[in-house]
Amino acid sequence: MILALSRTELTLLLRNKTAASLALAMPLLIGALLMVNGPSGWTFIIVLQLVMMLGFTVYMTVTTSLVGRRQDLYLKRLRTGEASDQVVIVGLLVPTIVLGFVQAVVLLGMSTIAGAPLPERPLLLLLAVAGGAAMCCAVGVATSGITSTPELAQITTAPFFFALFGGAIWTLVSDSVDYRMMLVPGGQVAELVKAAWGGPTDNVGLAVVSLVVWVAIGAALAVRHFRWEPRS
Amino acid sequence: MTNPVIQVEGLRCSYGDFEAVRGVDFEVAQGELFGLLGTNGAGKTTTLEAVEGLRKATRGTVRVLGSDPLADRRAIRPRIGIMLQDSGFPGDLTVAEMVAFGQSISSRTSDAATAIEALDLAHRRDVRIKQLSGGERRRLDLLLATLGRPEVLFLDEPTTGLDPESRQHVWEVVRGLLAEGTTVVLTTHYLEEAESLAERIAIMHEGRIAVAGRVSDVLARQPARIGFDVPAGFDVSVLPMLYGDVVHEPSGRVEVRTGELQRDLGELLDWARGDGRVLTGLRANHASLEDVFHAVRSDEKVMSR
Repeated sequence: MILALSRTELTLLLRNKTAASLALAMPLLIGALLMVNGPSGWTFIIVLQLVMMLGFTVYMTVTTSLVGRRQDLYLKRLRTGEASDQVVIVGLLVPTIVLGFVQAVVLLGMSTIAGAPLPERPLLLLLAVAGGAAMCCAVGVATSGITSTPELAQITTAPFFFALFGGAIWTLVSDSVDYRMMLVPGGQVAELVKAAWGGPTDNVGLAVVSLVVWVAIGAALAVRHFRWEPRS
Repeated sequence: MTNPVIQVEGLRCSYGDFEAVRGVDFEVAQGELFGLLGTNGAGKTTTLEAVEGLRKATRGTVRVLGSDPLADRRAIRPRIGIMLQDSGFPGDLTVAEMVAFGQSISSRTSDAATAIEALDLAHRRDVRIKQLSGGERRRLDLLLATLGRPEVLFLDEPTTGLDPESRQHVWEVVRGLLAEGTTVVLTTHYLEEAESLAERIAIMHEGRIAVAGRVSDVLARQPARIGFDVPAGFDVSVLPMLYGDVVHEPSGRVEVRTGELQRDLGELLDWARGDGRVLTGLRANHASLEDVFHAVRSDEKVMSR
């Protein structure tokens, strides 16, 4: 049943040109531009590419598409069927997560071809991508609950979106990384990616804890705020 | 009622401080069509949502096929079909894709082509849903709710906004399901729909059931009507003694509301023949559900005065 929901959701994502270009073209384009103009070393480029993927492809797509499906009263319909509430939500999230992973692979492939070294600790890279995607999904579901129309999603997604970028850049430019940066979403992702490419591992534990906490916060807010039908 | 498929007892539902359903009881037997009628805001949809397991009751109990529709959702959903009053589609899918998707998330087996044909959507099967007319969308909605013939079908205003032809189509499909043994609960504010499909009805008003029973019994409790045109300056005192109430309307028409239709009609016809009158625009009919509806509403007005 999850597969059926996901397949339909993927079809819908790809048929909506705005959503598809936001989720697919944007991060790839900017990711490519970063490589051309990237004077700051490969870690910097790869962190920004992955954060871009998390922000655009996962976080914004999850929020916007859930709000759109709710607006279309499609969520309400799905709720009348046999699938449980959890299955419906997971079914709708899977395509976005898959798109995010595919994009991560493509971006890393592009960087590798352009001369980036391979990660020394690939597990940490996987953790950054998977944990970051989980966090963005959870917070995205929560954000959709407080967003009444797909247009408004551009505003409601801004705080977390910028926190994600801000946290990543803060961590990248700081000479000594401490717990404050690890608490910001994006900060932990950046730290894990840095560690994957041979950076210091002192903060890895804290970064993982922070990711787990952010997923928990997002999930709690999602349970509290998620709505199946538009406010009437 | 032996082994009712649906049992509702003392159902109450609130939205914050507002109590939309204020103590509703009814039962629906296997294979019957039960009509839930009422004005907008009477609480029909809220009642139905509680029975479907989409809304938690504040108080009271609901049993569908012997189980709690909310707690035993997993067991009940494969056996029921739900057509909401307002439910949407992903507009970018085609009709055929939507039906295939509906099949893939249902454990009931069904034949897509037959279902599409039955609701007269075969010529639209490759059209995207956003390009369908309102009536076509509503038929697709019914198609999805009835895929694989559920044991119990809930229809919330299935024909609202449909043209007469589409409405007939929907009625035919519903009759077909009834003939195969499906139990149907239908809400509507089209009285002729309830008259033509329902065996038993309940009329809701302000969160309660005001009138309930077999359609024929509910109608029999209301006076019948006789009406005819009279010339200007007509004096109603020349009419024979009638059992019912006589109203001389300013439009130049006499309306009789009577519990003794045959007797009063006979008196009137005798009088007209004796007087050599032609009763133009003569009509005699049983109460309609519309009359029952109005009676429910005017009772309420009297009580609130």
